[in-house]
Amino acid sequence: MLQIAAFYILAAVALISAIMVVSAKNPVHSVMFLITIFVTTSGLFVLAGAEYLAMLLIVVYVGAVAVLFLFVVMMLDIDFVELKQGFMRYAPFGALVALVLFAMFVLVASAVVEAKVDPHVLASPTPALDVANNTQAIGRILYTDYILFFQLAGMVLFVAMIGAIVLTLRHKPYVKRQNVGKQVARTRKTGVENTKPKIGEGVSL
Amino acid sequence: MMEIGLTHYLAFAAALFTIGVFGIFVNRKNIIVILMSVEMILLAVNVNFVAFSVFLGDLVGQIFAMFVLTVAAAEAAVVLAILVVYFRNRGTIAVDDLNVLKG
Amino acid sequence: MNLASVTHDLAFMTPELVIAVGAMLLVLMGAFVSKSAYRAITYLSVVVLLVAGFLGVQHAPDNAQVLFNGSYVVDAFGGFAKLIIALTAACAILLSADYLAERNLEKPEYPVLALLAVLGMYVMVSAHDLLAVYMGVELQSLALYVLAAYARDDRKSSEAGLKYFVLGALSSGILLYGVSLIYGFTGTINFGKLMTIAKDTSNVGLIFGMVFVLSGIAFKMSVAPFHMWTPDVYEGAPTPSTAFFATAPKMAAAILLGRFLFEAFGEVVSQWRDVVSIMAVLSMFVGAIFALQQTNMKRLLAYSSILNMGYAMVAIAAGPVYGPSALLLFTAIYAITSVGMFGVLLSMRDAKGKEITKISGYSGLSKQRPLLSLALTIMFFSITGIPPLLGFFGKFQIFIAAVDGGVMPLALILVIASVISAFYYLRVLKVVWFDEPSVEIVGGLATTKVTVTGVTLMIALLTPFIGLIYTASMAAGHFFK
Repeated sequence: MLQIAAFYILAAVALISAIMVVSAKNPVHSVMFLITIFVTTSGLFVLAGAEYLAMLLIVVYVGAVAVLFLFVVMMLDIDFVELKQGFMRYAPFGALVALVLFAMFVLVASAVVEAKVDPHVLASPTPALDVANNTQAIGRILYTDYILFFQLAGMVLFVAMIGAIVLTLRHKPYVKRQNVGKQVARTRKTGVENTKPKIGEGVSL
Repeated sequence: MMEIGLTHYLAFAAALFTIGVFGIFVNRKNIIVILMSVEMILLAVNVNFVAFSVFLGDLVGQIFAMFVLTVAAAEAAVVLAILVVYFRNRGTIAVDDLNVLKG
Repeated sequence: MNLASVTHDLAFMTPELVIAVGAMLLVLMGAFVSKSAYRAITYLSVVVLLVAGFLGVQHAPDNAQVLFNGSYVVDAFGGFAKLIIALTAACAILLSADYLAERNLEKPEYPVLALLAVLGMYVMVSAHDLLAVYMGVELQSLALYVLAAYARDDRKSSEAGLKYFVLGALSSGILLYGVSLIYGFTGTINFGKLMTIAKDTSNVGLIFGMVFVLSGIAFKMSVAPFHMWTPDVYEGAPTPSTAFFATAPKMAAAILLGRFLFEAFGEVVSQWRDVVSIMAVLSMFVGAIFALQQTNMKRLLAYSSILNMGYAMVAIAAGPVYGPSALLLFTAIYAITSVGMFGVLLSMRDAKGKEITKISGYSGLSKQRPLLSLALTIMFFSITGIPPLLGFFGKFQIFIAAVDGGVMPLALILVIASVISAFYYLRVLKVVWFDEPSVEIVGGLATTKVTVTGVTLMIALLTPFIGLIYTASMAAGHFFK
C-alpha cells in the first residue's frame, strides 16, 4: 500500500513539475523544476528496483546536467519577458497535439503490455537478488558483454569535451596572466635600474 | 490489493514524453526551455527502458538507459557550448530571431 | 564474455581502432606540437581515413562475422560502405583545409572531429543491434553539431548548429522511444532475434516501434517529411562542413536504415514498404520542386540531397532481395559526386577571396575558369544520370531493383523526378556557359584544386570499370537473401 501511495505521489509531483518546466516565466525556476523531476523519477526507479540507475540519475542529471543549465541561464543576460512571447498563441494547438500523442502512446503501451516474451530471448536475464544486487549485476555485464559500448560512450564524451572546448575557449591576448616562474626568477638586476638624472630633466621609462 | 504494474510506468513515461513535445511546441522563442524539454523526453525514454527491464527481468534495458544518460549529458555539454557561442554573436537567445536563416 | 573473446572480436575491428587511436593521437599532437601543425594534422587524418577504408575492405571476412554478442557485424556490405565513407570524408577534410585557413579557423580539432564522426558512421554501418544504432548515430551527430557551429564568430553558423541540434535531439528522442517499444515487446534489441520474432507475430507495439526508429533514422537521412532542417543547416554551416554533411553521413544513414529494415524486419516487408514508399515519393517531389526556386547554391544542393535520398528510399522499398546492392552502388556514387560538387562550390571565390554562393554569381564562369566549368558540368550530368557518366549506373540500378522488387510506380516516379531535377541542374549550367561574366572569379587554392580534379577524373573515367564496381556491390549486397 505504501508503495502505491509513493508511486502516485512521486509521479504526480514529477508531472506537475514537468508542466511547470515548460510554462514557468523564469528559466531559473524551470531548471529548479527540472531538478524536481529528476529527483522524483529517481524515486520511481528505486521503487522499481533499479537503484543503480536511480543514483546515477541524481549524480549525472542533477549533479552535472542541471547545474550546467543553471550555470548557463545565470551567466547569460537573458530578457525573460521577450522569451515568453507567443506562448499563449501556440498553447491550444500544442495541447491538442500533445493529447493526441498521449492517447496514441497509451494505446501502443497497452498493446505492448499484453505481449508475451519468450524468456529464452533475453540477452542478460536479471540474476536473483541473493546472487547479485542490482549494482553488482550491472557491473558484471557492463565491463564484459557491453565493453564495446562502454568504450563508444567514452568516445562520445571525448567528442563532447573537444566540441565544448573548441567552441567556447578563447585566448584573449590582452588578459594579463600570472607567471609564477617568471616572478620568482626575478632578481634585483632585472627589477631595479639606477639612473642619475640631471636636474630638471627627469627620467624616461 | 492493487499493485504498481508496467502500465503505470508506461503511462507516466508517455505523459512525460508528451509534455516534453508540448514544451518544444509552445516555447518557440525560449531555447533554454526547449533544451530542457529535450532532456525530459530522454528521461521519459529512460523510464520506459527501466520499466521494461524490470518487468521483463532483463538487464539490457537498464544498460541501455545508462548509455542514454551518458549521451544526454554529453549532448547537454555540446549544446550549451553552442548556445553560449550563439549568445555571444547575437546578444539574445530568443529563437524567433532565427530569421537570418528562414525556416 | 571473457578477455579472449573480446580480443578475438576486436581483431575484426581494426579499421575502427585505427580511426579511434588516430583521432586521439592527433588531438595530442594538436595540443603539444606547435600551432602550425594544422596542415600536418589535416593530411595525417586523411591518411588515417584512407588506411581505415582500405583495411575495412581488405579485412572484410568472406562470411559475415557477428561480434560482441551479436551487437556488431563485419561483412562485405559494411566494408564497401566503409571504404566510400572514408574516401568521401577524406575528400571533405581536404576541402576544408584552405577554407578554414583563409578564415583563421585552422584549429586541429576540425579534422579530429571529422574523424570521430566517421567512427560513428562506421558503427552505424556495422550495427547489428539497436544499442549500436543509437551509439553510432549519437557519436556521429554530436561531432556534426560542433562542425555546423564551427565558425563561432559567424552568427549564421552558430544558428545552424543550434537548429541542427534541436531537431537532431528530437529525432533521437523519437528513435529511442521506438527502441524502447521494440525492446518492451520482444525483450531483445538484437537484429537477428528480432527477425525471427517479427516473422511469427504481429503487434501494434512492434510496428509502432519500428516506424519510430525508421522516422528517427529518416531525420538523419533528411528524407521528407523530416527534411525541414536540411536547407537551413546547409546554408548556415561553414561550406566545408556542409560538404561533409552532404556526403558520408547521408550514406551512413541510408545504409543503416537499409540494414535495420533488411536484417531485423526483412521477413515482413509488407509492414514497412508503404511507409518507406511514401517517404520516397515525398522526398523526390520536395527535392525536385522546391529546388527550382532556389537562388543560393548551398540550398540548391540541400534539395538535391533530399532528392537523392528519396532515390535511396526507392532502393530500400525494393526489399531485401534486390535493394541492398542498388542502395550500396547508388549511395556510393552519390557521395562521391556530391563531394565533387561541393569542391566546385568551394573553388568559387571572388577577387577578395570571399566565397560566391549565389547562383547568379556563377554567370560566365566558363569564360573565366573553363576547367572548373567543365568539372561542374561533368558532375551535374553525372548526378542527373546522363548515360556515360558514373551517376547513370547508380540510378539505373535502382530502377532495375524497383522493377524487380515489385514497386513499379516508384520506378516511374523516379524517372519523372529525374527529368524535373535535370531542369534545375541545366538552369545552373546555362548560367555558367551562356551568361556574361559579372564578377571576377578566382579559382580554389591548391588542396581544393587537387581534390576537385581527383573527384572529376574519378566520375569521368571510372565508367569503364563500372562492371568491377557493380560486381563488388552485387557481391557485397548478396548475403541478404
